[in-house]
Amino acid sequence: MSDDKPEAEKPEAAEAPKAEAEAEQAPASEPQSAPAKTADHDHGGHGHAHAHAAGDAHGHDDHGLAHTMPLPLLFGVLGALLALTIATVAVTSIDLGAQGNLIVAMVIATVKAALVCVFFMHLLWDKKFNAILFLTSVLLLILFLSLTTNDRGEYQHDVDTYRALQLQAK
Amino acid sequence: MSEPSTETQAANKASAPPPAAHDPGHAHDDHGHGAHDPIHAANPHLAHHFDTPQQQFDAGKLGIWLFLLTEVLFFAGLFCAYTVYRSMHPEVFVYAHYFLDTKLGAVNTCVLLISSLTAAWAVRNAQLAEKKMLMINIVITIACAFTFMGVKYVEYSHKYHDGLLPGHNFQPKEQIWELATFRNKHPEAAEYAEKLAKLDEKKHEAPGAAAAKAEAHEEKVERPTEEELEPLIAAGLVGPRSLDPSAHISRPRMAHVFFGIYFFMTGLHGFHVLIGIGIWVWMLLKAAKGQFGPTYFGPIDFTALYWHLVDLIWIYLFPLLYLIH
Repeated sequence: MSDDKPEAEKPEAAEAPKAEAEAEQAPASEPQSAPAKTADHDHGGHGHAHAHAAGDAHGHDDHGLAHTMPLPLLFGVLGALLALTIATVAVTSIDLGAQGNLIVAMVIATVKAALVCVFFMHLLWDKKFNAILFLTSVLLLILFLSLTTNDRGEYQHDVDTYRALQLQAK
Repeated sequence: MSEPSTETQAANKASAPPPAAHDPGHAHDDHGHGAHDPIHAANPHLAHHFDTPQQQFDAGKLGIWLFLLTEVLFFAGLFCAYTVYRSMHPEVFVYAHYFLDTKLGAVNTCVLLISSLTAAWAVRNAQLAEKKMLMINIVITIACAFTFMGVKYVEYSHKYHDGLLPGHNFQPKEQIWELATFRNKHPEAAEYAEKLAKLDEKKHEAPGAAAAKAEAHEEKVERPTEEELEPLIAAGLVGPRSLDPSAHISRPRMAHVFFGIYFFMTGLHGFHVLIGIGIWVWMLLKAAKGQFGPTYFGPIDFTALYWHLVDLIWIYLFPLLYLIH
């Protein structure tokens, strides 16, 4: 940790990398002293936030353990979500073909879902592993749906034949 | 039995100091897990099995994301049933969606989106230890959840009274051509469907000697050709692939399955909303005690994540059930 920090902060604070590095390494050099460690941990959150601010273009508002969402961004996302809801209702009255309307509705829903995930659920600032976990579930969902749909299509002919026979019997 | 366990304990004690020596950056190791640990003393909400608030928060976050993954797969089964049934019987979905109130669905979508904002805002409040705003936002979120369930109650009771239930209980009181939603969109098809249905009725009603006469008369009108059904096909009421169009005019075969899917998907979602209300009330009690601050806001964050997932599922359910073209 203390090794990465000076490097991460170089681009932003080129003048004071040495002082930073010394400040960060100081507690590390005294592993036996309890008060020094407590101090390290009390300020640990801030040091962490600093490293993020320098290395990560988005993490400008870290507070303690995680990123804090600015209010204008939250309200902006809500506005976009409500606008997209109105759009998806409005577009239903326009005929875009048998599958066209379904595709448009699903694209709008996916954009809305992405807005919720990225901003409301903090995925943009979260650990990447959590995003990977969630995307895995989406991938499994897509696999599940597409394989089942594919399989069902294989039997459409049998279903049609069976129905035709049933009608003849009537 | 007791021998190995004491050995392990001894081994644990013996191995405890070395990590501290390897990794001096972590302050916890040499201080063990006693009550005198300064980090735990400074953080009353830090569980004893975690070393730092950061570790506790990250572990909880990983846990909630894993749970959300299983939730997506849980709902995936129902989305799969929907996909298969819709691809097999698109006309059933076109028919059934006229019985749903798009306005109520849209209102519920907006209510859930607003509650998602207050949930995300509550996380910010917890992080900044804004106790009053945190409680206000939780109360608004709960109020939105109750509004959502209230609207759902109105929709469900309406469907119950109109006989729009799954399986054998599917006995719609209104025919499709009687619905304002359908009449406004396809006036021609509504009229045509009504006319055909009346002819059908007469045929069934005509008893005894009159039957032969009536049947002879109506034999010509019966069995409309594919071209005659054009307005109904255009309205999506009769599937173009349908092999027996005349049998589908009053309502498509197996239309009740749509309501099975509808009640299962919205019901499971509504159940999640109810559980969410319970968790939010619990969070409100914790917030009232002033437990949350910069080093401890995990529970609010995780509840909000769950709440956003419930919102995400509704974002897909709304167009899939209410907005069928």
